[in-house]
Amino acid sequence: MADHILGALRRANRAVALILGVALILTVAFILTDVALRGLGLGSLGGSDELSGYVMAAVASWGLAFALLERAHVRIDVMRLKLRDTGRAAMDILAMIVTNGVVLLIAFQCWPVLQKTIERGSRANTPLETPLWIPQGIWFAGWLWFALSATIITLVALSYLLAGRRDALDATIGIGSEVEP
Amino acid sequence: MIWTVAISLLGLMALSIPVGIVLFLLGIGVAQFYSAFPLLRGMGQMIWSSSASSTLIAIPLFVLLGEILVRGGVAERTYAALDKWLSWLPGGLVHANIATSTMFSATSGSSVATAATVATVAMPQAERLNYDPRLFSGAIAAGGTLGIMIPPSINLIVYGFLTETSIPQLFLAGLIPGLLLALAFVVVTALICIVRPALGGPSRSFEWSERMRSLGQLLPIVALFTVVIGSIYAGWATPTESAAIGVAMAAVIAAFGDGLGRRAIIEALEGTIRISAMIMLVIVGAYFLNFAMTSAGLGRQLSDLIGGSGLSPFGTLMLVIALYIVLGFFIETLALMVATIPIIVPIMAGLGYDKVWFGILLIVLVEMALITPPVGLNLFVVQGARKRGSINDVIMGVIPYVFVMALMVAALIALPGLALWLPSAF
Amino acid sequence: EELSVVGSWSNLPLYQQFETVFWNERLPELTDGQMTAQLTSFDQMGIAGADVYRMLGDGVFDVGATVADYTVGDAPELEGLDVPLIATDAAEAQAMVEAARPMVEDIMRDRFGAQVLGIAPYPPQVVFCRGDVASLADLQGKKVRGSGRMTTKLLEALGAEGINIAFSEVPGSLERGVIDCAVTGAGSGYSAGWWEVSDHLLTLPLGGWDPVVIAMNADRYDALTAEQQTMLTSAVAEGLEAPAWQAAQGGLENDIACLTGDASCEGSRASMTVAPASEDDMARAREILVAEVLPDWASRAGGDWAARWNETVGQTVGLTIDR
Ligand code: NA
Ligand code: NA
Repeated sequence: MADHILGALRRANRAVALILGVALILTVAFILTDVALRGLGLGSLGGSDELSGYVMAAVASWGLAFALLERAHVRIDVMRLKLRDTGRAAMDILAMIVTNGVVLLIAFQCWPVLQKTIERGSRANTPLETPLWIPQGIWFAGWLWFALSATIITLVALSYLLAGRRDALDATIGIGSEVEP
Repeated sequence: MIWTVAISLLGLMALSIPVGIVLFLLGIGVAQFYSAFPLLRGMGQMIWSSSASSTLIAIPLFVLLGEILVRGGVAERTYAALDKWLSWLPGGLVHANIATSTMFSATSGSSVATAATVATVAMPQAERLNYDPRLFSGAIAAGGTLGIMIPPSINLIVYGFLTETSIPQLFLAGLIPGLLLALAFVVVTALICIVRPALGGPSRSFEWSERMRSLGQLLPIVALFTVVIGSIYAGWATPTESAAIGVAMAAVIAAFGDGLGRRAIIEALEGTIRISAMIMLVIVGAYFLNFAMTSAGLGRQLSDLIGGSGLSPFGTLMLVIALYIVLGFFIETLALMVATIPIIVPIMAGLGYDKVWFGILLIVLVEMALITPPVGLNLFVVQGARKRGSINDVIMGVIPYVFVMALMVAALIALPGLALWLPSAF
Repeated sequence: EELSVVGSWSNLPLYQQFETVFWNERLPELTDGQMTAQLTSFDQMGIAGADVYRMLGDGVFDVGATVADYTVGDAPELEGLDVPLIATDAAEAQAMVEAARPMVEDIMRDRFGAQVLGIAPYPPQVVFCRGDVASLADLQGKKVRGSGRMTTKLLEALGAEGINIAFSEVPGSLERGVIDCAVTGAGSGYSAGWWEVSDHLLTLPLGGWDPVVIAMNADRYDALTAEQQTMLTSAVAEGLEAPAWQAAQGGLENDIACLTGDASCEGSRASMTVAPASEDDMARAREILVAEVLPDWASRAGGDWAARWNETVGQTVGLTIDR
C-alpha cells in the first residue's frame, strides 16, 4: 500500500519536474526571440523579465516536492554519521516531521497573498498589466502540492518505521546526494 | 539575537533538518520571540516577492547549461583534453580538475553548478588512476567556487542588484582575481605534490601531437564563453538574458557533438529542477530569516557593532572580513549575502571603499564560505558525487585552498587594482 | 508609544536626510518624548517596494512609507496622485499633492487599511539623454528607460519606446546604445555618474515626482487617543513633510548646477547641456495627457475616480478628463 502511494507520488512529481523543465525551455526561447528582435531593430516582445519571474516562482514552489522525494534538499550529516541505524532513523523521522510542519505553515501563510490579489483584482504594475491571480495561483498551488507531498511522505515513512523496513525508510527520507552520479 | 540565532542554527542543522527549513524555522522563532509584531503575516508576501524574481531565473538556466554539457559529453571531452596538457605537473590530474573548473566557471554563474559538473566527470578518473581522494576532491570543491568569481556569476548579479552596482562592471572586476586564484591553486597543488608526492597522482606526459589534437575539444567551451560574455558587452543582452543565450548555445554544441537523446534531455531537465529547487528553498528561507531579523532590529545590532566599534576605516574593514569568515562557516552563502549586504555595504561605501572592489572582496570570502565546514555547499556537492568515504576527506583536501583564498583577500586589499583595473580600462 | 517604522529606499536622500532624522530625533522632541520609533527601510528588510502597504495593512509594522507609484498594481486609482509633466516646480507639485490628499486618504483606508500621515516628494524625475535632445518631440523613436505605468503610457503616446532596466544598468546601457534616454531624479543621476555617459538633460518632470506616502496601520491609528493622533500627524507635517518639500524646491537647481558643471557646485566635472521646459513642450504634454493618458487611467481606475480627480487635482492644475 505505502509502496504504491509513494510510487504514484514519485511518478507525479517526475511529471511536474518535466513540465517545469519545459517551461524553462520556453522561457529560454522567449528571451532569445526578444534579444533577436531587439538586435535586428524590430522592437521588443516586452515583458520577458516579468514572465521569467513568474516561471521562477513556479519552479521555486512546484519543484520543491520533487527535490524532497529525490532527497536533494541539503542536510548536514556530521552528527548523523556518528550514529547507528536506530539513531539515524530517528533523526530522519524528526527532520521529516519538522519539515512537514514548516511546509504546512508556509502553505497556510501563502494563501492570504492570493486572497488579497483576488479581492482587489490586482494587476502587475507593468505594461503587460498581468492579472496577478494567474501567476500567484500557480505559485500557491505549488506550495499546496509541496505540503500535500510532504504529508504523504511523512505518513509513508512512519509506516516503514512501524513495519521495521529500515532500508525503505532510508531510501525515502535518508540523506541522498546533491548530484546524480 | 545574533548569537542565539547562530547557536540555534548550528543545533538545528546538526539534527540534520534540511538547511532551507532551518532558515524558515529560525525566521519563525525570531518573529515569535524577538518581535512584538505579527511578522508571520508577512511570510507569504516575502516568499512570493523573493521567488518571483527575473534575476534569480539565472540559477536554473546556468544549472541547465551545465546539465546539457555533461549529458552531451562536452564536459568529459574538455576534461580529457585539459588532462593531456596539465598532467605533467607534480600532482597530475588534480591540475586538470582546477583547469576544468576554471573553464566551466567562465560559462556557469554558479559555484554549485560548476562543482557538480566537474565532480561528475572527474570522480571516476580518481578511482581508475588510484589518486589520494583528499587533494583530488578538495581541488574540485575549491576550483568549483571560481564559478561565482569568473564571470558570469549569479552572486555578483545578486550583489549588483542589492547594492545598485553595475553588473557588467562587477563581471569585469572579477576576471583577474578569478584567474589569479586559479593560477594560485595550480601553484599550491604543485608545491604540495613536490613535497609530498603521495598526495597527488602519477605525472603523465603526452606527446605534443596528441596535445595539439586535443585542442579542438576545448573549442566548444571557448565558443560558449565568447557568446555568453560577448552578448553582455556587445549590448545585445542583459546578464540574465545571457544565461538563456548560453543554454541555447550549449544545446547547439551538444547537437553537433554526440547529440542528446530523449532520455538525456529528460535527465537534464529533472537534474535542473532538482538542483534549482534545492538552492531556491535555501534562498527563500534566507530571505524570510533576513526579513524577520531586520524587523527585530538586526540592522541596528550590526550597525552598532560595526559603526560603534570606533575603529578606523581599515580597522572596520578587518572587522567586517573577520565577521564574514566566521559567519561563512555557518551560513549558506546566498543567505549570507542577502542578509548582510544591505547593512554592511552602505557602511563600507560611507567609509570610502569602492563598491565594485568590495563586491569582489566579498566574493572571495563567499568562495571561502562555500568550502568551510560545517556549512559548505561545495563540500556536500563533491561528497555527493563521490558516493564513498567520509566528507572529512573533502574537508581535509580543501584546507590548502582556503589559505590561498585568505592570501587573495590580502592581495586585494594591498592592490585594489587587481579588481578595479579592468572596469576602469573599459 | 514606540512605533515600528519602515522607511523608503535607504540609499536616497529622503531616507538618509529626512526620515532618519525625523523618526530617530524629531519625533520624540515634537511629542515631548511620548512617541519614539524604531526605523528600518523596506530594501533592508528585503521587502519589495510594492508590498509595503499590503504588509502595513496586515499590521506587520506600524508605519510604512513607499513610492505610491509602486503600489498601483493593487490600487490603480492611486496613479492619479502623480501625473507626470503637469507640475514643473516643487510648489506646483505640492499643490497637486495637497489637492489629491483626500483622495489618497480614502484609497489608503479602503485598499490597505491604513491612515495617511503625510506625503513627501522625491526630486522631480527628469530625463538624461545621450545625443541631441532639445524638446519632448525629440523623444520620438528613442528608447527610454522610465518607471511607472503612466510615464510608460506617456512615452508611448510621444512615439518613444519604454524600456524596463534596473537603475544600476543604466550607465552601461546608455553607453552601449541599449537605451537613448533614462528618467530619474537629477541628484540620483549626478551621484550615480549618469553624466559621464549622457550629454543632454531635459528638466521636464517626465517621471513625475514619485511622491512617497507615509501611512500608519488603521487599527493602530484608531486605537490612539484623538490627542495622540493630532500630535503624530502634526509632527509628521512639521518634522518630515515640510523639510522634505523645502529641500525639493532648492534641490533641483543645485543638482542642475552640478550636472552642468556650474561653478556653484564644487568639484563637479560634469558638463551636460540643459534643455529647459518650453511652452510648446508643456502644451503638447497637456494635450497628450488629456487626449490619451488620463482617459486611459480613468478606465483603469473605474468608479468615479475621474470625476473626483477633475474636482480636486484637475481644478488645481487646470485640466479636465473627458468622460
Ligand atoms: Na562564472
Ligand atoms: Na562554510
